[in-house]
Amino acid sequence: MSFFAKLFGIKKSNSAKIAKNRLKVMLSHERVDCKLPYLDDLRNDIIQVIKKYTKVEDVRISTQNNKNVDLLEVEIILGK
Amino acid sequence: MGIVITVTSGKGGVGKSTTTANLAVGLANLGQRVVAIDFDIGLRNLDMILGLENRIVYDVVDVMEGRCNLTQALINDKKSKSLYFLPASQTKDKDILSKEKVKKLIDTLKESFDIVMIDSPAGIESGFEHSIFLADKAMIVSTPDVSSVRDADRVIGIIDAKSEKAKNGEEVEKYVIINRLKPEMVEAGNMLSIDDVLSILALPLIGVVPDDEDIITSTNIGTPIINKDKSLSAESYRRIARRILGEEVEFMDFTAKKGLLASLKGLFK
Repeated sequence: MSFFAKLFGIKKSNSAKIAKNRLKVMLSHERVDCKLPYLDDLRNDIIQVIKKYTKVEDVRISTQNNKNVDLLEVEIILGK
Repeated sequence: MGIVITVTSGKGGVGKSTTTANLAVGLANLGQRVVAIDFDIGLRNLDMILGLENRIVYDVVDVMEGRCNLTQALINDKKSKSLYFLPASQTKDKDILSKEKVKKLIDTLKESFDIVMIDSPAGIESGFEHSIFLADKAMIVSTPDVSSVRDADRVIGIIDAKSEKAKNGEEVEKYVIINRLKPEMVEAGNMLSIDDVLSILALPLIGVVPDDEDIITSTNIGTPIINKDKSLSAESYRRIARRILGEEVEFMDFTAKKGLLASLKGLFK
């Protein structure tokens, strides 16, 4: 920051910080599909198996990444 | 047996070919027998950066299709005698490569070279897949901007899925090269810093190349910058080459040098 910028109280730019935060948010979403390329196939297989026994309405699969563990949550909605 | 190093990035225009050319020359200068292969089928470019475009008779597809011998297609570099170059084909059919043919070629090259350097095409299509398929090491080039880092992250996520090494339970060694860093912009808070990029990509850093107009000049004349003395970017490439060979080399400090003149200029900015 230049002397005059300081003098007149012009704020230091923080576009890099904004870029970093935007990237982090974006990538936390994108990485999930990347890490588990078999997710779609897995989902279809699970639906096939569940269909054999029940009237399945929906299978929701979500993933969570923590530092040490990758978590795969499978929620099977059977209806009533 | 040689090793395969693939230079890749996801996004185009971040300096893959320039990096490949400079590191290939750098490694050859360190006494390695190096072959640089351009895998960007249809969009050949490494030839011009190396300044070898006038010597091309056959290309990589000619070799794979058996239209010529490997030795007929290999072009020896003008200065670095232990560096050879295999150009990309200019055919429009970019899907002409097949896994079996790529494997046969690379395996043959590994017998007579210490390092097989592959310049990957941009994107994540078949050309990229072929170039990463047999890689032992991958150099992921990224400039410090959102598009490049995002694409680099995506590529990193799929490298192992496309590599033969990963299928055998091993892992491709992945390293980040940060290209075209502008230290003044980082200091002003207007460019992602080295730490920012690394915290996102979560891979070891193997080199940082500062933004340098001289690289454009050297591409103009077809002489990779790495041989130039007193050039920061050249020194960066030389250090990366040494690190590739396992040497521990200090990272350069790019914090903008502020001489008296620069400080004075800063006052009036």
